[in-house]
Amino acid sequence: MVERESPLGPAFEPGAFPNHAGDTGIRLSEATPAGIVEACAWPGMEQALRNAIGKATGLRVGAAANAAASNKDAAALCIGPSRYLVRSARRDLFERMQAEVAPETGTVTDLSHGRTCIRVEGNACEWMLSKLFAVDFHLTTFPADTGLATAHHDIFAQIHRSGEDRFEIFVFRSLARAFWRELREAAAETGYEVE
Amino acid sequence: MLISCPHCGPRDLAEFTYQGDATRTRPDLASTDTAAWHAYVYERPNPAGLHREYWQHSGGCRSHLLVVRDTVSHEIASAKFARKAREMIG
Amino acid sequence: MSPRRAAAGGTIDRSRPVGFTFDGVKMSGHEGDMLASALLANGVLLVGRSFKYHRPRGIFAAGADEPNALVTVLRDGIREPNIPATQIELHEGLRVESQNRFPSLDYDFGALAQLAGPLLSAGFYYKTFMGPVAGPLKGTRLWMFCERFIRRAAGLGRADHKPDPARYERMNAFCEVLVVGGGVAGLMAAEAAAKSGKRVILAEQEPRLGGMARWSGEEIGSKPAREWAEGLAARLARMDNVQVLSRTTVWGYYDGNTLAALERVGDHLPRRPGDMPRHRHWTIRAAKVILATGSIERPIVFPGNDRPGIMLAGAAMRYAAEYGVLPGEKIAIFTNNDSAYRAATVLKAAGASIAAIIDVRKEISTAAQALAGEAGVVPLLGHAVVGTSGKRLQRVILRRFDPQTGLVSGDSRPISADFLAVSGGWSPAIHLASQAGGKPRWDDFLQAFLPPVPQQDWSGAGALTGGMTTAAALKTGRSAGRAAAGQKPSRARLPQTEEPGLDPSPAPVLEIRAGGKAFVDFQHDVTADDVRLAHREGFVSVEHLKRYTTLGMATDQGRTSNVPGLAILAEARGISIPEAGTTRFRPPYSPVPIGALAAERHRHFKPDRLTPMHDWHLEHGARMMEAGLWHRPQIYGQAGETVEQAYVREAKAVREAVGIVDVSTLGKIAVKGPDAAEFLDRVYTNIFSTLKVGRARYGLMLREDGIALDDGTTWRLGEHDFLMTTTTANAGKVMQHLEYYLDLVWPELRVHLTSVTDQWAGAAVAGPRSRDVLEACISGTGIDDETLPFMGIVHGEIDGAPVMVCRLSFSGELAYEVYCGAGHGIHVWEALMEAGGPFGIAPYGMEALGALRIEKGHVTGAEIDGRTTARDLYLDWMLSKKKPFIGSALMDREGLIDKGRIRLVGIVSLDDRPLGGGAHIVEDSTSEGLGTSIGHITAFCYSPQLERYIGLALVKGGKARHGTRARVSDPLRDRFGPVEIVSHHFFDPEGKRMHG
Repeated sequence: MVERESPLGPAFEPGAFPNHAGDTGIRLSEATPAGIVEACAWPGMEQALRNAIGKATGLRVGAAANAAASNKDAAALCIGPSRYLVRSARRDLFERMQAEVAPETGTVTDLSHGRTCIRVEGNACEWMLSKLFAVDFHLTTFPADTGLATAHHDIFAQIHRSGEDRFEIFVFRSLARAFWRELREAAAETGYEVE
Repeated sequence: MLISCPHCGPRDLAEFTYQGDATRTRPDLASTDTAAWHAYVYERPNPAGLHREYWQHSGGCRSHLLVVRDTVSHEIASAKFARKAREMIG
Repeated sequence: MSPRRAAAGGTIDRSRPVGFTFDGVKMSGHEGDMLASALLANGVLLVGRSFKYHRPRGIFAAGADEPNALVTVLRDGIREPNIPATQIELHEGLRVESQNRFPSLDYDFGALAQLAGPLLSAGFYYKTFMGPVAGPLKGTRLWMFCERFIRRAAGLGRADHKPDPARYERMNAFCEVLVVGGGVAGLMAAEAAAKSGKRVILAEQEPRLGGMARWSGEEIGSKPAREWAEGLAARLARMDNVQVLSRTTVWGYYDGNTLAALERVGDHLPRRPGDMPRHRHWTIRAAKVILATGSIERPIVFPGNDRPGIMLAGAAMRYAAEYGVLPGEKIAIFTNNDSAYRAATVLKAAGASIAAIIDVRKEISTAAQALAGEAGVVPLLGHAVVGTSGKRLQRVILRRFDPQTGLVSGDSRPISADFLAVSGGWSPAIHLASQAGGKPRWDDFLQAFLPPVPQQDWSGAGALTGGMTTAAALKTGRSAGRAAAGQKPSRARLPQTEEPGLDPSPAPVLEIRAGGKAFVDFQHDVTADDVRLAHREGFVSVEHLKRYTTLGMATDQGRTSNVPGLAILAEARGISIPEAGTTRFRPPYSPVPIGALAAERHRHFKPDRLTPMHDWHLEHGARMMEAGLWHRPQIYGQAGETVEQAYVREAKAVREAVGIVDVSTLGKIAVKGPDAAEFLDRVYTNIFSTLKVGRARYGLMLREDGIALDDGTTWRLGEHDFLMTTTTANAGKVMQHLEYYLDLVWPELRVHLTSVTDQWAGAAVAGPRSRDVLEACISGTGIDDETLPFMGIVHGEIDGAPVMVCRLSFSGELAYEVYCGAGHGIHVWEALMEAGGPFGIAPYGMEALGALRIEKGHVTGAEIDGRTTARDLYLDWMLSKKKPFIGSALMDREGLIDKGRIRLVGIVSLDDRPLGGGAHIVEDSTSEGLGTSIGHITAFCYSPQLERYIGLALVKGGKARHGTRARVSDPLRDRFGPVEIVSHHFFDPEGKRMHG
C-alpha cells in the first residue's frame, strides 16, 4: 500500500522549542488516522446513524450537539446537526461505514486524504488555542470528550477535546501546513515540543 | 455581535455569513410569474427595526439559521434552525 | 524654581535608580517612576511644543488624560511617536525625544507661528488653500505651493517608515463578569463576584491596581488606602477563578457584551524576549460587565492657562503622594470645588508652601475650610485667575470674580507662585458606557455627564455613577459585584473609611473670560475664542464644533477639554450644557497600535493553501503565483527564459506531445443521496439525471437573476453519488449556493454535500501522446477509446495508488484528469512523469493552461464575471428547454437578451504586440486612440499555434463582427493598435483533437 504523505512538509521539525525561560508548555504532533469519514443522517435518522457508527467502530456516540466519543482505535465527534466526523486507525473505515450505513439512514464520504489531524497537548493548551479560536476553552464550557466546529479566519477547524489537556484539531489538508505554522507561532510564547 | 447558533451556542459574527431577507417568498421553480420572481430577487423592505433574515454558520456547523435581528441596535431576538422553522410552517 | 524629588514619600524605590535619556540628555529616576514623574523630579518643566502655535508646554496631568507631554520613544531601532510621558513606565535605558520642535525644545523656530496667530484660528484650513481666485496671482495655485510647507509644520510626532519588528498577539477570553477599572470600586466588585464562584476578569490600565487609593492619603479598614488596595489585589490574583489584567486598557465596547482591550505586555521591560508579545489584543466576551472607570478631572479655562508649571490639582497631588515629586515650591491653587483643598494638604505635607487657594465660589464648606487651615492658608473666595506670566510660571494674576454673573471686577493682583494647580471639577469617565449605547445624562449637582441608562448588560460602580467618595466606591463596588453574580445584596459591614464631608458639587464656572489666549483643547491648540468663532460662523451643533475647531479630536480625545468646550458653546448659544449635548463616543478609548489589531496576521495576512504536489513544483523550478489563497505554478521556467518564452514552450509541448498540469485546486463537492440527480437538474442549466454512472458532463450554473454563476464538470460515480467540480475561485461560493437551496428552498430533497476539494489530488495529462503515457503506467483498467470514451470515467491503479481517471479536456487536446487520494498526489504525479519521459512529457503551469484554453475559446471566471449570461458566451446550447432550473425564470428578460449586449469573440493583434486584460475595443478612434468602447478584452496570450498575440473579448454584436477590424484602446497602459475580431474558437474549432 502506498504511504500517505503528510502535508506538513518542511514545516514539520521534530524537537524542543523552549521559550526564553526554557519552558515547553505545549506538545504538538500530527495525528492523522488512517481512516477518516464524514457521515450524515437524513432527517429523523440520527440515532440510526449513531447506531451504525457504533457497529462499524464500537463507539457509543451521544445525541448532544457537542457529543464526542473515543475508544482504543476510533473516535467520532458531532460537527453539525446530523453530521459526524468519524476516524479510525483502521484503513478500511470507509468500507466498514459504507456497509453499516444504509441508504435510508444517510451517506458516508471518505475524507482519509482530505483532512489532517493536529494534536495539541499540555497545560498551556487553553491559553494557546484561545489565541486562534474565539471559543471558550474552559473545562466547564468545553468538557473533555466533547467536540465543536469553528474557524480561524479562513481555516475551518473541527476540534475534539479528547482529554483535559489534549485536543485533536481537524483542518483541510491544503491548509494544514499554514495552520501548523500558526500553531508554532502561537506556542512560541509558552515554548513547545514537536513529536 | 454574537449569534446564538442552536447547535453550537453563541459564536462571534465572524463565523457567520449573511444570507438575505427571510420574509420573501420564492416562487415555485417552474413558475414563470416574472413579477413574483422580480419581487423575490430584487425587492427588500429594509426596515429599521426587527428584521427576519437568514444567516449561515459557515465557520461552524454550516446550518442555516432564521434570525430575528434589530437592524438599528444589532440585538438578536432569536436564532432558530431555518430548516426546522420551514418544516413547522409545513 | 523647579519641580524636584521630595526627600521622602511616594511608592518609588529610592534605592533603585533607573537611567534614561531625554532629548539626548542622560537623566536618572527610580524604580516605580513613570517617565513624567522622573522628568519632573529632574526639574524638567518644558516637555513639548504645541501643535499649531508651538507654544512651550509642560506636563498637565498624571495618567491617560495627558494632553501636552507627548514624546517619541526610540526602541529596537524604531521610533514610536505621540506616547504620553504619563503612560511610559520608567525602565533602564529608556530613550525618549520631545516632539514638534526644531532645532530644540528651548529654541524652536516653530514658535514664530504665534505671530501668525490670528490667521491660524479655528477653521483656517478650510478657508485657505483655494486659489488665489482673483487678482494677479489668479490661477497660479499659489496656495497649493504654500501648503507643502505648512503641511510639514503640522502634526506632532514623526512616524517611522521601517516595518514594526515587534510581536503582537491576539487573545480571546470569556468570563461571567468583566470588571473594567481596578480602583476601589472595581476591586470590591471583582471580589464580590469572585467570592460567589463566578469567572471574573479584572482589567486595569495602570501597572498597579488601586486607582486613587494609591495617592489619596486616605485610610480604608484602618490601614493606608494604598496598602488595603494592594492586599485585596494580591488576594484576587491568587484566586483560580479570577484573571487580573494590569497594564490593560479596555478601549471598545461592542455589541453582545464584547469588549476590546489592549494589554501592554512588554513595553516596560528593558529587554523584551523575542517570544514575548509586545502587546496583546484581547477580545473579551462577558456575560455581565461592571464599569468602574472612575472620573477624570477637568480644568477651568482662563487666559494664560497653558504655561509650563500649570497642572491639574489631582495630578499634582498624585505626583507628590505616589511618586514623591514636588511639582513646585510655592504652589497656588485655583478651583471651583472642594477636591482641590485635599490636594493642597497633600502638597503641603510633601514640603511645598501653599501661596494661595483661589476659589471662584463666595462660600465654601466647613470641611474645605478645615483643609485650608491644614494647608496653612486662608482661601481667596470670589476670586479668579485672569492671567499668568513668566517663561516658566512666576506669577499668577487675580481679580475679583462673581460666579453668578461670570464677570471679573476690581484691580489685578499678582501673586508670586512657581506652580499652579487647577481644578474645574470631575467628569465621570463615561466613554465605554456611552459606546454601549444611549445618551449621557447631565447632572447639575456634579456639573458633569453621568453615564446613559445601560443599553447592554452592564452596571456601574464608584465615581462613574456619581459616587465620588471612597465610601461610595466601596459600597457601590460590592453591590455591583454581588448583583452581577446573581447574589442578593450583602448586609456585612463595609471596610471603614473616613468621610471628610467635602462637597462634591462644583460651582458652574468652567471659563474665566478676560483678555488673552485661553486654551480649551491643549493638544490641538483650540482656544475659547475659537469655540466662539465657530459658533459665530454658524457651526452651532456640538458635532460641527468638534470638526470645525478639532476640539476633542486629538490623541487624548478631549478628556480634559470636552466639558469646558461644551460649556463655552452652550453659553454662546444661550442654552444649557445638556441641551448642547455631547459628541458621539467611539472606540478606541485611547490609541491602539495597528500592529496589535493585526496580531497574528501581522506577517501572515492570509494562509497559504497548497496542493499535494506543491513541494514537487518548487523542487522543479516552478515560479508560483497566488490564485486566491492557493499557490499554483505560473511557469516552470528554464534558465534564461522570459515568462512568455516559458509558457509558449510548455503549451507547444502539450499540443505536440504531452504535458501535465496540477488541477488539484478545482473545487470538488461530493453530492450524495437519492435526490442528488434531481437536485443537480435544478441547479445546472443542463440535465444531469440522464447522466450514466461512470460518465461526466460539463455543467453551467446560473444565479437567480439569470446571470452565469460558475461552470464545471460533474462526474457520476454511482446512482446516488456525484462528484461536482467547480472553478477554483468559486468553490466556496458554489458550496454556499448549494447549501442554501438544500436548507432553505428544498429541505425535502435528500441530498448531502461534503467538501472534498482536499481529498483528491488532480493531474491533467494532455496532448496527442497522453493516452500513451497512461497506458504505460495504469493498471486495473483499459484506457482505449472504447473503455474510456470522451467524458468517461474508469478506476484503476498507478504504481500501487488507487486512481480515478476521467477523459475530459480543458486544453482542447486529448486529455485525461487523473485523481488520486491527496496523500498519494506526488507519488502518482512522479509515476506519470516517469511514464511520460519517453514521450517528452513537460509539466505546465497556469500561463500555458491559459494560452491553451484561449486558443480553444473555453471560458473561465474571466468571462463568467458576474455580468455575463450564458447567451453572451454562446453557451445557449446548455440551456435545457425540458426543465426549469435556477435562473431560468429571469434569464430571458429584455435586457438580458438584447442584441446590443457584449458577447464573446476572439481578438487577434495585427501589430505583433501583446494585448492587455481589461483593454477596450473601439471601432474608430480619435488621433489619441480613444473612441466609443464596444467591449473589452477578458484574457490574452501569445498563441503558439497561430503565432500571433490573441485574446478573448466581449464585444457588442459578437458573431456579427467576425472578420471586421477594430482598434484596441488602453489609455492606462498606453496601448493602442489595430486588431481583428474573429471567432473565439481559434484552434481546432471542431474539437477533433480531444475526441481523437
